[in-house]
Amino acid sequence: MSVTETAAALEEERPRGSTLPRYLALKGGGALVSLAMVVVLGFFSFRVLPGDPAINMTRGRRVSAEEVERLRAEMGLDDPLPLQFLSYLGDLFRGDLGVSYVYRREVTELIAERLAPTLLLTGTAALISVVLGLWLGQKSAWRRGSLFDKTQTGLALVFWSVPTFWLGLILLLVFAGGLGWFPTGGMVTPGTDPTGLARVLDVAHHLVLPVLTMVAVVYAQYLMVMRASVLEEMTSDYLTTARAKGLREDLVRTRHAVPNALLPTVTLIFLTIGGLVGGAVTVETVFSWPGLGYLTFQGLSAPDLPLLQGTFVVFSSIVIVMNFVAELVYRVLDPRLKAS
Amino acid sequence: MSRTPSTPRWRRAAAVCVAALLSVGTLSLGTARPSAAEVAGENVKVALTSDIDTFNPFLAILATSTGILRFQYEPLVAWGTDNEPVPGLASEWSATPDATTWTFTIPEDRLWSDGQPITAEDVVWTFEQIQQNEALQAANGGLVENVEAITAPDPQTVEIQLASPQASNPGAEVPVVPKHVWQDVDPAEYANDTDTVGSGPFTIASYTSGQSVELKANPHFWRGAPKVPGLTYVVYRNTDAAVQGLRTGEIDVLSGLTPAQFQSLEGQPGITTSSGAGRRYTAMAINPGALDKDGNPLGDGHPALQDPVLRTAIFTAIDKNQLLETVLQGLGEPGKTEMPTVYPMYHGFAPGTEEVTFDPAAANAMLDEAGYERGPDGIRLDEDGEPLRFRLMGRNSDPTHQQMADFIQPWLADIGIDVEVSMVTPNQVNDDSTLGRYDLYFTGWGIGPDPDFQLSINTCASRPAADGSGATSENNWCSPEFDELYAAQHAELDPQRRAELVKEAFSVLYEASVNNPIWYADTLEAYRSDRFTGFTKQPEETGVITGQNGYWGLYTAEPVATAEGGAAAGGEPGGLPAGAWVGIAAAVVVVGALAVYLVSRRRGAADERE
Repeated sequence: MSVTETAAALEEERPRGSTLPRYLALKGGGALVSLAMVVVLGFFSFRVLPGDPAINMTRGRRVSAEEVERLRAEMGLDDPLPLQFLSYLGDLFRGDLGVSYVYRREVTELIAERLAPTLLLTGTAALISVVLGLWLGQKSAWRRGSLFDKTQTGLALVFWSVPTFWLGLILLLVFAGGLGWFPTGGMVTPGTDPTGLARVLDVAHHLVLPVLTMVAVVYAQYLMVMRASVLEEMTSDYLTTARAKGLREDLVRTRHAVPNALLPTVTLIFLTIGGLVGGAVTVETVFSWPGLGYLTFQGLSAPDLPLLQGTFVVFSSIVIVMNFVAELVYRVLDPRLKAS
Repeated sequence: MSRTPSTPRWRRAAAVCVAALLSVGTLSLGTARPSAAEVAGENVKVALTSDIDTFNPFLAILATSTGILRFQYEPLVAWGTDNEPVPGLASEWSATPDATTWTFTIPEDRLWSDGQPITAEDVVWTFEQIQQNEALQAANGGLVENVEAITAPDPQTVEIQLASPQASNPGAEVPVVPKHVWQDVDPAEYANDTDTVGSGPFTIASYTSGQSVELKANPHFWRGAPKVPGLTYVVYRNTDAAVQGLRTGEIDVLSGLTPAQFQSLEGQPGITTSSGAGRRYTAMAINPGALDKDGNPLGDGHPALQDPVLRTAIFTAIDKNQLLETVLQGLGEPGKTEMPTVYPMYHGFAPGTEEVTFDPAAANAMLDEAGYERGPDGIRLDEDGEPLRFRLMGRNSDPTHQQMADFIQPWLADIGIDVEVSMVTPNQVNDDSTLGRYDLYFTGWGIGPDPDFQLSINTCASRPAADGSGATSENNWCSPEFDELYAAQHAELDPQRRAELVKEAFSVLYEASVNNPIWYADTLEAYRSDRFTGFTKQPEETGVITGQNGYWGLYTAEPVATAEGGAAAGGEPGGLPAGAWVGIAAAVVVVGALAVYLVSRRRGAADERE
């Protein structure tokens, strides 16, 4: 969905006023329905993938036919599909995502291990790109048509259209390989075990290039939406009133125009943050970041069904939860929604 | 007067976001780190570009994991620098003439890395665990399948009783674990990745999933402790980044380069490149009319391909040397049989084998003579008058497959054969080839030092059931002549005689024109020769440094520094490199400036509050 489309969709979705419990129940119920669909989809879609896990995992090694069959039985692939689905559902309700075929460990454990680095990377990138995008966006709108506006929107759109993988590799080549300012990959310098501040600095040092890549590619969407919504407010009467009171132009913008323009933007922020987590796959691959993306990629090779289902449910849940949060934040920010 | 909250809502929201992020950050920073005895800066740092499944030797399947475990565990019999059997835990071994009872002697000087003696008990325990516990058969179940009984007549002797005669050494390949460690844990659950006990040159000290593996030198290794304090495997998820890491000295050894990356590193100061003969063959296979294990037709191969003359003509129209020169930039050897050049004992044709060489005119003549007339569009017709139109399948994960197809398509058009190329996922290729759903496809196998397995998957008995379950065959092809040769070499104890039989068997397969190796690609490696030297290749002159059938390459590595009387070039002292401080300083300046700007603005705003 393009930036403008998202904004348009958001306009339509603007919820009507209602009491808080009713509102929560409605939105929460919607989120749960989405989650249930993800759970079902996650199970069946991966079973359409080509590749028999038992055959792929025993390929090239000396195994008897009996062993392959035993492996298949152990993975539960012998059972009819509906039965497999029921046991998957049962396990899921107990918070058990099963045991990875390849890693031979609990999927929940594997995901927990990789989730924190992914959240650190995407969280930092999201924060910076939101702040940067919103700030540049409202500035550009206020001075629309100026050199500042043209260069900022132009630059942002150039980065927005650059393939993430390409930009990451270029940054890696220049700042890590060429200048040697930053490491070429990973999250912690291997062979060292820093603690405390040294560890924070080490991680921060590794974080710079991947975050820079992500920010460069995504901040444009915040800039553009913010710019559009400030522009929408610019002709409003209340701004004339504010100016009539003798406020400086800057204050008119930051105190009056921006808070109102923020409404559609906030929802967009939360919607895109969910997507960012999934989109981190490319950046994680370029910078060898130990996150969830690569785990998913590896899962496809067997195919490691429990792992794929697990990461799919986690990625989708993040998006769903973020959407739900967006609804709540919107309600907080827009007092009009509170009136029943 | 009007609504002017002292702290606008969006600022408060931003503050909440920052707080949330910081807590996520600390959470991640605080994740448990394995405590490893570090010897900073001196380990050989090796790029790890493929994945690790587990370090439990009973369960580890992925090549990266089993490769690292080769440093940790000596089998009874190891592979030497020329891929020949050499002493491992056992110093000597013998087999009864009927090849059913094998006896191994473990000398008293063999110690585990914790100083405990290695005895026959450890070997017996390991083998029996695999035999008795189904969960432990994942990795090496097939290797002990033929073992009827294993006993320890005395602490230095192991006796293996086989169910049927077997010429390949039953003591090879199976990693032997220390009983005194493993008997106290659940072997099927034990992660075996922290402060482990082993018998090889290095043992795993710590493992951070998705990031790095630390191995430390084993002072009790029977061939002598390594000259480096340890190995550090550094995870890289793309080789382009790893190439940069090698340039900056973040890693010392890198394998699996593409020809382009390899050439970009040639002649770089402090870096030596090495093109080592690989263990893998790449071939094009032709569906000869696949049959399942009961002899019923399997899959949907084009019926015309059941004619061996047509299959041979196809291979005659393919110029292997040209493919090797253009697609691989000459970094490999043209293929003969499935055994690559790194196994000189088994490589090459049996006497009297007719090698198929590139000759389009001869290919055309063969087809003319066999009665394949050309249709109006130049495409030849089969006996039913249908045009010879075949599918060619390859893996979309391997760019060389598409490149080869680009050459092969016009070559086959020259002899009147139309080819439709499709590149699909590796799993799709596995599925379709297992079930015979192909006409032509690109295939390839990594070959171990003992040829028995590769031969076994070409026997009639290796074909799958009609639904693809059961055994997996290489080509779903079956020949009684081949099966006889397989059985003969399987029990032949004389190495010379066995090698002849093996070559003969592979030559029979070659002459059937179902699978014709195109090349044995070199493994392209590079290392920091300004920091480390002494890597022993396998095979010694022409082979590889990493990914060996053994530990020679990194075990024999030694630092360069001592000879030059100073720190090695490109060496990093402990702590952050200078560049890091530049980067951090830049970040601090930017953040600081931003903060000052924001604060000053807020002050200005406060002055003018309504």
